[in-house]
Amino acid sequence: MTHVILIVEDNERNLKLLRDVLEYAGYDVRAARTAEDGITLAVSEPPDLVLMDLQLPGIDGLEALRRLRASPRTAGIPVVAVTAQAMKHDRERALEAGFDGYVEKPISVRAFLDQVRRFLPGQEAEAQ
Amino acid sequence: MVDRDKRKPAGHDPASNPGMTAGTGRLGDELAEVREQLAATSEVLAVIGRSAFDLEKILETVVESARRLCAADAGQVFLVDGDRYRFAYGSGMTAEYREFIANNPVVLDRGTLNGRVGLDRRATQITDVLADPDYSLADAQRMAGYRTVMGVPMLLDGDVVGMLSVWRTHVDPFSDRAVEVLTAFAAQAALAVRAVDLVRVLESRTGELRRKVTQLEALGAVGQAVSSSLNLTEVLNTIITQAVQMSGSDGGSIYEFDEDAREFRVETVCGTSPEAFDALRSARIALEDTFIGKAATLGRPLELTDLREAPLDPHLNALAESGWRSLVAVPMLREGRIVGAMVIRRHTPGRIPLEIYDLLETFASQSALALINAQLYRQLERQSAALAVASQHKSEFLASMSHELRTPLNAIIGFSEVLLERMFGELNERQDDYLRDIWSSGKHLLELLNDILDLSKIEAGQMVLSRSKFAVRESLDYCLSMVRERALQQRVLLSLDVDPEIGLLDADRLRFRQVVLNLLSNAVKFTPEGGRVDVRAFVRGQDLVVLVADTGVGVQAEDRERIFDSFQQGTHSSEQVEGTGLGLTLSKRILELHGGRIWVESEAGKGSTFGIALPAGSEEPAMEPAPQAGITLDPALGPRPTVVVVEDDRRSFDLLRVYLEAAGARVVSAGDGEEGLDTVRRLNPAGVVLDILLPGIDGWEVLAQLKADPGTAAIPVIVVSMLDERGRGFALGATEYLVKPVGKEQLLAALYRAAAMPEQKHMVVAIDDDPLAIELVRASLEPEGWTVLGAATGQEGLALIRERKPSAVLLDLLMPGMDGFEVVEALRADPDTKSVPVVILTSKSMTPQDKERLHGRITYVARKTEFDLSGLAGLLRWASTSRQSPVSESG
Repeated sequence: MTHVILIVEDNERNLKLLRDVLEYAGYDVRAARTAEDGITLAVSEPPDLVLMDLQLPGIDGLEALRRLRASPRTAGIPVVAVTAQAMKHDRERALEAGFDGYVEKPISVRAFLDQVRRFLPGQEAEAQ
Repeated sequence: MVDRDKRKPAGHDPASNPGMTAGTGRLGDELAEVREQLAATSEVLAVIGRSAFDLEKILETVVESARRLCAADAGQVFLVDGDRYRFAYGSGMTAEYREFIANNPVVLDRGTLNGRVGLDRRATQITDVLADPDYSLADAQRMAGYRTVMGVPMLLDGDVVGMLSVWRTHVDPFSDRAVEVLTAFAAQAALAVRAVDLVRVLESRTGELRRKVTQLEALGAVGQAVSSSLNLTEVLNTIITQAVQMSGSDGGSIYEFDEDAREFRVETVCGTSPEAFDALRSARIALEDTFIGKAATLGRPLELTDLREAPLDPHLNALAESGWRSLVAVPMLREGRIVGAMVIRRHTPGRIPLEIYDLLETFASQSALALINAQLYRQLERQSAALAVASQHKSEFLASMSHELRTPLNAIIGFSEVLLERMFGELNERQDDYLRDIWSSGKHLLELLNDILDLSKIEAGQMVLSRSKFAVRESLDYCLSMVRERALQQRVLLSLDVDPEIGLLDADRLRFRQVVLNLLSNAVKFTPEGGRVDVRAFVRGQDLVVLVADTGVGVQAEDRERIFDSFQQGTHSSEQVEGTGLGLTLSKRILELHGGRIWVESEAGKGSTFGIALPAGSEEPAMEPAPQAGITLDPALGPRPTVVVVEDDRRSFDLLRVYLEAAGARVVSAGDGEEGLDTVRRLNPAGVVLDILLPGIDGWEVLAQLKADPGTAAIPVIVVSMLDERGRGFALGATEYLVKPVGKEQLLAALYRAAAMPEQKHMVVAIDDDPLAIELVRASLEPEGWTVLGAATGQEGLALIRERKPSAVLLDLLMPGMDGFEVVEALRADPDTKSVPVVILTSKSMTPQDKERLHGRITYVARKTEFDLSGLAGLLRWASTSRQSPVSESG
């Protein structure tokens, strides 16, 4: 079974990079450019993992996480922050807010796939 | 000499009693007289003892006793006051005489009894003043009517201090005994005068002391207020209240001088109505043409005894209208600068006692100090507020700059990595080359960005070292492995010499590596082909010293200080080589945070030696893992990292231990939280695997304590628990969070990511008869986290593969003895090794037969001469994860 990963990212180039890398690794990738769209998508068809940019137009990543957690359909989905905010307190704040992981941009493609795999337990063989 | 008159009338003089004949009667009389005299003397003494401070009382007793014992009509005491005799006490005289003599002190001449006694300094008698041609006090004589007078001097230490005298209103000379009696009383009176004088002096000194104490207390209160309070109003209030009290005035005020406006402004008042305070506040008190301005300009206190008679300036006018009559203005100066003024005032005209001026000036200078303190404090507050805003702006700017730069860098680095990983097909050499340029430029920008953030963190005092004890040798090995590939490419020889004495270093491990790596990459960067870079580490005194010597371009003398400053590179290097220009600055700051230093010795053209020294901080020897029975390890793997597993469930622990030991770790068990904390503190392990549900203190508590302790905070902790509470785990500082059941790969991957141990997963056996080829492979793979096991022959290689089960094999085809083809066949024939990916790395041109022979059995074939070694890691990684891939061949 192919895992579905939802990327919420407003920067087109970064979205393209994440999508291409994940699709290369065999995942089914959905994309949203705003948190609102992302939440709608996640609720209508819950993905296995959400990769969420923190700085988004409109509601930001933290608020989006809160809303995902508040909805029973999406509450259990792991949400990983993927962000260019690199200050130490940014990471702490994100983890305290309840993000399951924190990936700093620029990503390292190899490490990124590893990190994604961590949140899809038992999927190493499939994801190869 | 006493004038002795021989005619002594009988019965009249109890002191002489001439009417008595010799015999018992006369003796009895004399005895009675002496008794009486003794009684009188003791009475005088008793009075002196009783009322030592009451001269009048003493003189009264003396005079009355003398008058009685001498059978005189009157007696009196005069005290010397300058060149005259002042009447002090008298009895038996008319009021008229008393008034006259009190108002006319007697002069010291021979015309008076006083004069003669004083000048001759002995007892003197005038038998009849009317018969004495020299006697001049006719007026007094007429008023008092005396005829025979006798006086004795009151002597103290040879000085005449007064005179005791008696008189009779008829002519009747006093006897010798009377002279003696009077002399004795005069001596007592003199003593009494002295005692009273002493008491008076004592009293005045006591009073002065009391005043001084009060003043000191007031000054103390003021000093206390000045030094303990930054509240200016409170301080000035204390001062002015004390000043008003001490000077016995009715009110006062303190003014601050505004240097820009050149005028005084009232700061605080005391004993002043609110209306008067308002009036003072609205009065413009210029330095020129005002009373307090004048005092300030002159630099001394000025007094105004009556405001109604003085020309009024706006300030004085405000005071006069509020009913004030007199004042003193005391300037407040500091190092010749006018700071303000203090004014003490009264509702009545008159002077303020001079002796209080010193005190007022002291108060004024205290006020000046308080004002200056307050001014400095205000200035400081303004500055720090401005600084806080600037620092906030800077932080915001840095955060946003970092974010804005990272976003495009993500695309640059990420897409070039995607292509370099061959995710979307093979690249030709030039494409690969250019992509590497793009990728490394992106990485360079990222490095620069990180350095800037690090530096600004240091500048802002926000960089906190996370100290731990770690093996120096291991860190240096790591740093060397990071530059080995580049050194090999540039044909620069690397060497490392670590004094075996060196044990553990107590420092921030990552920052230490950052510094050494920076020096090493600079050294390699600046050293031309064929040169060498030598690293030496040793202990000197209390310091660990690391020297990095190169044979590069060297540093010009004028650059030797500059290169440690931000954005400075040697003048001759900037065109040839890239560099962030921040690395050395950062290194310097990091070392300073450690209490260490950095320096350079260099000769242009002959290379440089960069040195760092930092307090070694630890006496303990390096903790070499003790060899354990049953496990043998390739020394190439280096010392085994220790991992503490805190787990109460025996079966879970056994499983974790198998996983960890297979990966080369030394596993130490702890059955509960307490033991876990102890073991970690004692061993300082490379990593901790922590269960949450533990007997006694639970894993959350263990995690919190480890992270709170600076000695253990840096040790990565991998939580392995049934509980799925990642958020809480990360918030408490867990490096990784795994939910049970945990597989081997998952656990090891977590440990590798946490850098708790070198990644053994990527182990490759390289089989080649050319040692240089194996060295090259090592150089390109080790920095990527691979362990390279070399074998010079096919047989040796096969044995290694069976024993170590590497994740890939690199194989040369042409070897003496067992060649590569045979190795492949042997591998594929053995069920244990048949699925290990094999990459052929050969200089042999492959014939169709060769290809046929290898078909389906190997993963990749690369030509030694054409293959870029730097892509090897990626290739192997790809090979080891895609075990079923068909043969492909590099261009």
